[in-house]
Amino acid sequence: MSKMLKASPQLARRHPWQERLAEDWRVFRGNLLGRIGMGLLILFGLMAVCSYIPPMVNAMYHPMTGVDPLVLKATPPSLRHWLGTDFMGRDIFSQLLAGARVAFMVGVSAAFMAVVLGTAFGMTAGYMGGFTETVLMRLADMIMVMPTLLIILMLAALFGKLNIWTIVLMIALFRWPSVSRVIRAQTLSLKQRPFIDAARVAGASHTRIIFRHIMPNVLPLAFLYMTFRVTAAIVIEAGLAFLGFGDPGTVSWGMMLQWVWKTGHMFTAPYWLLPPGICISLITLSFYMLGRAMDEVLDPRLREEGQRE
Amino acid sequence: MRKFILKRLVQVVVILFLILTILFVLFRLAPGDPVSRLVDPNLTPEEADHLIEQMGLKEPIWTQYLMYLKNIGSGEFGYSFHYGEPVAKIIWQRLPNTLMLFTTAVILAALVGISWGKLAAWKKGKLTDNLLTIASLVTHTLFLPWLALLLVWVFAYHLGWCPITGMITDEVWLDPACGFFTKFIDVVHHMVLPLATLFLIHFGSYLLVMRSSMLETLKEDYILLARAKGLSERAIRNQHAAPNAWLPVVTSVGLSLAFSINGGALTETVFSWPGIGRELVMAVSQNDYPLAQASFLLVAAVVLLSNLVVDVLYAYLDPRIRY
Amino acid sequence: MPLLCVENLCIGYHTKKGLLKAVEGVSFSLEAGSSLGLVGESGCGKTTIGMALMGLLPPNGAISEGRILLDGVDLAQLSEEELRQVRWRDVAMIFQAAMNALNPVQRVSWQMTEAISTHRPELSKDELLRQVEGLFQLVGLPLARLHDFPHQYSGGMKQRAIIAMALALNPKLIIADEPTTALDVVVQDQILKETKALQEQFNMGIIFISHDISIVAEVCHHIGVMYAGQLVESGSTDQVFYAPRHPYTQALVNSFPTLTGEKKKLTPIPGEPPNLIGTIPGCRFCDRCPRSEAFCKLEPPQWQEVEAGHRVLCDHC
Repeated sequence: MSKMLKASPQLARRHPWQERLAEDWRVFRGNLLGRIGMGLLILFGLMAVCSYIPPMVNAMYHPMTGVDPLVLKATPPSLRHWLGTDFMGRDIFSQLLAGARVAFMVGVSAAFMAVVLGTAFGMTAGYMGGFTETVLMRLADMIMVMPTLLIILMLAALFGKLNIWTIVLMIALFRWPSVSRVIRAQTLSLKQRPFIDAARVAGASHTRIIFRHIMPNVLPLAFLYMTFRVTAAIVIEAGLAFLGFGDPGTVSWGMMLQWVWKTGHMFTAPYWLLPPGICISLITLSFYMLGRAMDEVLDPRLREEGQRE
Repeated sequence: MRKFILKRLVQVVVILFLILTILFVLFRLAPGDPVSRLVDPNLTPEEADHLIEQMGLKEPIWTQYLMYLKNIGSGEFGYSFHYGEPVAKIIWQRLPNTLMLFTTAVILAALVGISWGKLAAWKKGKLTDNLLTIASLVTHTLFLPWLALLLVWVFAYHLGWCPITGMITDEVWLDPACGFFTKFIDVVHHMVLPLATLFLIHFGSYLLVMRSSMLETLKEDYILLARAKGLSERAIRNQHAAPNAWLPVVTSVGLSLAFSINGGALTETVFSWPGIGRELVMAVSQNDYPLAQASFLLVAAVVLLSNLVVDVLYAYLDPRIRY
Repeated sequence: MPLLCVENLCIGYHTKKGLLKAVEGVSFSLEAGSSLGLVGESGCGKTTIGMALMGLLPPNGAISEGRILLDGVDLAQLSEEELRQVRWRDVAMIFQAAMNALNPVQRVSWQMTEAISTHRPELSKDELLRQVEGLFQLVGLPLARLHDFPHQYSGGMKQRAIIAMALALNPKLIIADEPTTALDVVVQDQILKETKALQEQFNMGIIFISHDISIVAEVCHHIGVMYAGQLVESGSTDQVFYAPRHPYTQALVNSFPTLTGEKKKLTPIPGEPPNLIGTIPGCRFCDRCPRSEAFCKLEPPQWQEVEAGHRVLCDHC
């Protein structure tokens, strides 16, 4: 083995990294929850991708504007409309697919932004320490205890109807604190390590140290926490839409529930009431399971005995 | 301990103050005329003028700010556009309803979560544990308004066991012959479904936290010593493990309070439960700005104070903090 | 009859990789009022023996062979219910103070009265408190701190509390598992002296588990040296510590620095202990033994009686 290492330094540098990835994949695969979560998410992903198909088949299948001229009210599932139609005659199944697309879009973007913000703040707080750290962490604490949904509601009151991207931005603005706490803790422990001192002695500026040395070590953790942020974002958007404050131009699952509720069909149209709710709950569940499986990958203590030697 | 409570109270006040200020700034920054936002356009010119003077809307911004603070301090929140009544009166009426529902739900969920979590840890790997864990996972990830609608559909619409919406039945409360007990039962009857909704959504996370906390605690050295002393398994579980294990659960309750309040507002809206959350939602959709602002403030205060209570409870339960 | 008689004890842990034989064929005996020090490096099985004596093996551990006779009763055969009665009343354990041995959310007085009331439920609260006060005085703890919480105690105080708790029911046998590790040397010395005095006062048997042979030599009448799950040398302290015969014991004794005598280079023991999963045919110390020969690896070594009461598990010592 040592001969191999001496002969090709390239190989030597790749080996431990690849080993770890292979090991991580093995752990992840072995986790039942992770597998189920992954499977469900792939299903939803397929739904999202397929959401473009129905309108192309026939204009009446468009989730927002497609109205079946033969049916102008809520009808149960049929061959023509697999999940039935809503109160205007729009196809519920295509709405469901579109909802999947919106869920991923909102979830992933909001989570991504929250993670970027949280990592930036967390790293800065952890690295700078002192006053900066105190201020940032106090800010994070304050934001974290606030009920995001209601805050966005207030902002909606003041600034009028909200565009979907505004909603995404606001979710990110209120969800970064939990990420920053974890990142800060990680940064603090990294700060103690000798290689940081070495970099400083070599004359590296603070920015350089943060981006070249701390960030790469902190990113895996950040992305783990992204999975939890995704569910939070999806649920908040759904809650907003349900209450009637979502973007009226996008069809999300929460919006579908709003229509079913506000038009008084909630007791008479189970084919309309059930699918969106099931989807929201399932996608939340699958991201949660995914997050738990990834948790196990990142934290060896959580692994079952014997999975690792 | 007293110092701790005092310090936290000061923090709460400071944060509320910050929120007040932010609201003040936002209301004046938002597009449109702030006056129309704070004074009901339907008022007569005299009433409008009176209000404008009271809130100092024609004054420079600093004076406005001070008057704003003074008003809030003296409980003067303005007049609701929608109800035409003082906002203060409305929100004071609504507050007990929210507290009643919310605190009962959180306490119930915590108690059940803790005791079942203990049980699940105890029977780790067996059927009880698996069932409880799955049930917790599933209920915790359900979409709250949807669950609420489902419950109403099944239990109120189909089975007729519980009323569909509202907190009280008007006939019962208007009838002078009905005593306190009847009225009490009426409220409880209306509270069953909203309580069930909130409970189902929340007990799962407390259960899971307690379960993993118990499993961690059972690995501790003092558990080994307790066993060495010849204690029964039950004594070890209840007197040594649980009092340590429930500490992270208390923290978890605190952290999830924001989530719970969101849920509370959604529940109140679906069930038309006359609480602060629902009032906030309605006020926002009706552009009733004074009411919306005051409701939001109250919600923020409830959240902050609940966090305080949780922190104090934690300090009480953990002697390492108290002494 | 000796107080404790361990005969051919074999303990294994079931792991995903196979059966780990942590203790293999260990036999020794202990008279009432005398003390035995079990010495060895981490993983040699000394703590496992201590746990087995209390019946506290983890769920994946089991005694596969052998007997543990305490006053004639075989502890290895007792049911969990019977063991619960024996624990603390007949055999008590002194844990390391550095461990989290005291429950952080319960008062020390409560934890101590619990030890007594579990086995003597008939005692009144006052009587229990009186007994605990007596124990505190015995180990030199101030009565004013009786109702404190463990985090308010210093390391030395915690150790004393743990010792007091072990003495609560006047047990016949005490197992002390590294009781002075992580304490500073001054306190260490005090505790060792006090433990010795207590033992003489109550005529208990003590098994002192440690990795530090010099501490054990100071306190115990007898020493048993363990390596890789086996007892490799045993005898009185004079014999084992001052005239060690097994190469491992000699290496152990040499690896601790002394304050007096000439300065010499410390000699560490090279290599690592063997993997205890699967069978090892010959002597377990071969790979690190300076005196090993070919046949050591193939044949299991036999006990040699070097002097009266001093035996060594080696074929050419």
